[in-house]
Amino acid sequence: MTQAPSAGNELSNPPSDGISNLRFSNNSDHLLVSSWDKRVRLYDVSTNSLRGEFLHGGAVLDCCFHDDFSGFSVGADNKVRRIVFNVGKEDILGTHDKPVRCVEYSYAAGQVITGSWDKTVKCWDPRGASGPERTQVGSYLQPERVYSMSLVGNRLVVATAGRHVNIYDLRNMSQPEQRRESSLKYQTRCVRCYPNGTGYALSSVEGRVAMEFFDLSEAAQAKKYAFKCHRKSEAGRDIVYPVNSIAFHPIYGTFATGGCDGFVNIWDGNNKKRLYQYSKYPTSISALSFSRDGQLLAVASSYTFEEGEKSNEPEAIFVRSVNEIEVKPKPKVYPNPAA
Amino acid sequence: MASIQKDPILQVETTCGSLLYELQIIWDEVGETETDRDKMLLELERECLEVYRRKVDQANRSRAQLRQAIADAEAELAAICSAMGERPVHIRQSDQSVGSLKQELATILPELEEMQKRKIERRNQFVVVLEEIDSITNDIKGQGEYVTSRLLIDETDLSMRKLEELHGQLQALQKEKSERVETIRKHLCALYSHCSVLGMDFNEVVGQVNPTLSDPEGPRSLNDQTIGKLGDAVQKLREVKIQRMQRLQDLATTMLELWNLMDTPLEEQQEYQHITCNIAASEHEITEANSLSEDFIKYVEAEVVRLDEVKASKMKELVLKKRSELEDICRKTHMLPVSDSAIDQTIAAIESGIVDATMVLEHLEQHISKIKEEALSRKEILERVEKWLSACDEESWLEEYNRDDNRYNAGRGAHLTLKRAEKARNLVNKLPGMVEALASKTIVWEQEKGIEFLYDGIRLLSMLEEYNLLRQEREEEHRRQRDQKKLQGQLIAEQEALYGSKPSPSKTIGKKAPRMSTGGAAANRRLSLGAAMHQTPKPNKKADHRHIEGALSTGRRGLDIAGLPSRKQSMNPCEVLQSPLVRKPFSPISVASKANIATATTTQQVAKEISSFATPVKNNNNSMKNLEEEKMMTMMMMQTPKNVAAMIPIPSTPATVSVPMQTAPTPFTNNARLMTEKPEEVVEYSFEERRLAFMLQSGLV
Repeated sequence: MTQAPSAGNELSNPPSDGISNLRFSNNSDHLLVSSWDKRVRLYDVSTNSLRGEFLHGGAVLDCCFHDDFSGFSVGADNKVRRIVFNVGKEDILGTHDKPVRCVEYSYAAGQVITGSWDKTVKCWDPRGASGPERTQVGSYLQPERVYSMSLVGNRLVVATAGRHVNIYDLRNMSQPEQRRESSLKYQTRCVRCYPNGTGYALSSVEGRVAMEFFDLSEAAQAKKYAFKCHRKSEAGRDIVYPVNSIAFHPIYGTFATGGCDGFVNIWDGNNKKRLYQYSKYPTSISALSFSRDGQLLAVASSYTFEEGEKSNEPEAIFVRSVNEIEVKPKPKVYPNPAA
Repeated sequence: MASIQKDPILQVETTCGSLLYELQIIWDEVGETETDRDKMLLELERECLEVYRRKVDQANRSRAQLRQAIADAEAELAAICSAMGERPVHIRQSDQSVGSLKQELATILPELEEMQKRKIERRNQFVVVLEEIDSITNDIKGQGEYVTSRLLIDETDLSMRKLEELHGQLQALQKEKSERVETIRKHLCALYSHCSVLGMDFNEVVGQVNPTLSDPEGPRSLNDQTIGKLGDAVQKLREVKIQRMQRLQDLATTMLELWNLMDTPLEEQQEYQHITCNIAASEHEITEANSLSEDFIKYVEAEVVRLDEVKASKMKELVLKKRSELEDICRKTHMLPVSDSAIDQTIAAIESGIVDATMVLEHLEQHISKIKEEALSRKEILERVEKWLSACDEESWLEEYNRDDNRYNAGRGAHLTLKRAEKARNLVNKLPGMVEALASKTIVWEQEKGIEFLYDGIRLLSMLEEYNLLRQEREEEHRRQRDQKKLQGQLIAEQEALYGSKPSPSKTIGKKAPRMSTGGAAANRRLSLGAAMHQTPKPNKKADHRHIEGALSTGRRGLDIAGLPSRKQSMNPCEVLQSPLVRKPFSPISVASKANIATATTTQQVAKEISSFATPVKNNNNSMKNLEEEKMMTMMMMQTPKNVAAMIPIPSTPATVSVPMQTAPTPFTNNARLMTEKPEEVVEYSFEERRLAFMLQSGLV
């Protein structure tokens, strides 16, 4: 196995409790981090500085950028918030009945989409005045608690407990475009859409990632497959780790996975190859994010509670610059190349 | 003399003097005494005085009369003036005290006459007004017949004010009367429209209220009672109208529902469009004549009843249609349809009206959706069953083919047959695995659902078991045939030795052994049900008969086969099922052996540990699942044929070695439900949910 020379730069002032998610801005090298210490933090990665810290009423389970001046966060206090960074102001867009697990902002629809353990996905219009009646655009019942969501273009993929996967078209949310069952046999951990919009990758707690396609034609469905990862063979025993996070490279379409084994792997989905494995991080990888140009990869090393309460390594955020060779797809090599 | 005649007083004085002279002459002649003469003269003077006095008295009396007359006239004048409320003219004049009494009287009399004339005129005015008032009052208060009342005029008050007062009163009365007339007119109008809408005789209704109203020419009763009664009648009719309207609207609603239910054509609906268009109309909007008459409602009612009847029959049709749909689905998915008698009963119930057909329909629809759902879950297995059955068919064909001694004769299409045989052999080789996989799938399915998987009412597992039994019997049969053949060969050899000729092998009773064994070991040879079924053309062997019967009686009809001894079971799902341990998700699986799974009856144990659930639980799984796990495990660096291209390793660069993924085609399984539906599995929780629960529990939040 290839080991990376270093884990990358560690950010100062990391969160003090589990990092639930981190995301790079689409416009700058700002990094938004949500964590279980009830805070959302905004870092400027280029200067390794903490630009803002916002305290919420409960553990923050997810966050995302709106633009460079504001973002959204959701958490265990059931609330959906909009944070304005430079003034430190926060609006409450609305609430769910149970903790809110994930949040996405759709530039296509201009809406905030949240998924919650109350088995609903709700859409919000952040321009509306504060209050649920004004901002809520719709609420859509899910078969189970929402565990992960991902957006690409007008498509929204919602993965829930019970291994359900619902695929929506944001322009018609009344009904899922497709209802699927996860191809993997175990609980869904993370779902992320391909940047080219043709499908999604879905990871489970049992060291496996499924590559799926939206197109229901037989030709497209024949391409789907699943592969094993984040496993360790030790004395004839196979140790399998949950795959917590998937992040697609914005340019090459290759992707990184992070597991509870503390490894980050880079994969080439088209050629079914592992491109790279970075050196082991102190503890589980809870979240991953590529910067807008794919030059940087933020890695959250933070215990994800997979073994319950126990003493664990301190939370850390590493930002490593990505070499092209680590993420560029390698074409298939045939044994007898055409002359 | 002329002068005497000119002045009578002078004449009288002359006459008196001459008379006195004459008297003196007489007296002188007579010689009357002085005393007599004085006496006579005194008497004369007394008599003269008397005459004077009388005249004066007379004059006095006449003056008094005159004064009286004046006073009377004045008094009357004053009375009239006061009655008429005018200032007496005379009083002004008396102040001036003009002339003699007669003059005065002469001036006052014409005035009086004038006043009296005016008074009469005024009085007449009063009379007219009062008469009018009286008549109107009569109209308003009376009972319709004219009651003349005495005109009581207060003579003392005939003033203009009073007259105006009366005029005012009259006008008020006139206004009231016109108002009443208007009210009655309105009531009558309303009554008329109601009557026309309700299809009632207007004159009759009005006549009941008050006979005078029905006469368009004659005077109408205007009194309160009439108006009240009229109002009551209008109200009553309005209530009737509303009541009927609601009734009609109810009917129209029913009608619309029925139309909807039965998809009644528009032309048929058109006829009743004018009814249904009023379905939401309010009371005042319905003005069409006869649109609420009893006949009309009866007519609509009749239509609704007709539609209801049609509906009942349609319902039956619908129910029957749904039922055939249900049966169709059942047939397609080889499930047992709902028993006919149950449906016949429901239909009978519909006809007898015990059960609402719509309820039955709903019930049927629910049933259909349930069946459809079940059919969906059965689909995968059914596909395999179809494959298996077709493979069985192919097997039987192959067997038949193998018996054909002329099979290698080159004829038309022989190459096709050869190809088919080749394919069939391949298929037959796969049959055992197919059966085994099918059985394990079925077991999984049955475990999941908790019911038996029935194929046309027969438990699929028993079919498979039966198939295996038959296969073994066939094997034995073959063995026996071989033995017999061997024996025959010996016999022939003996005969040959005796008679020197060899009978043609084709004429031997025992045919050539079917080439079933080409597939592999004897243990893998299986006969199919289909083979037994189709093996009939030359029923010259008892064994064959037995097979046919067996197949027909037990295989297809699903008779109990438990009594048959199971001689050998290469696949015994029961053993797996009976195992007390059930694999939990996340539980590690330890590898005990890597035995050949295709033939394995031993439980595969795969060492496996998911870090989140460290407690090792011994795994026991059905063979199918094991198979998959094993595949996944052993496919490190290996790939299914589809992914062959991807597995070719590329020369590694020193910096980054790209490693092929350990991929496997994603199974299109439904058996993932296994996980969630296992009884032990309560609810799955993500790490985050556990974490939050822990935080809440330990009071960290």
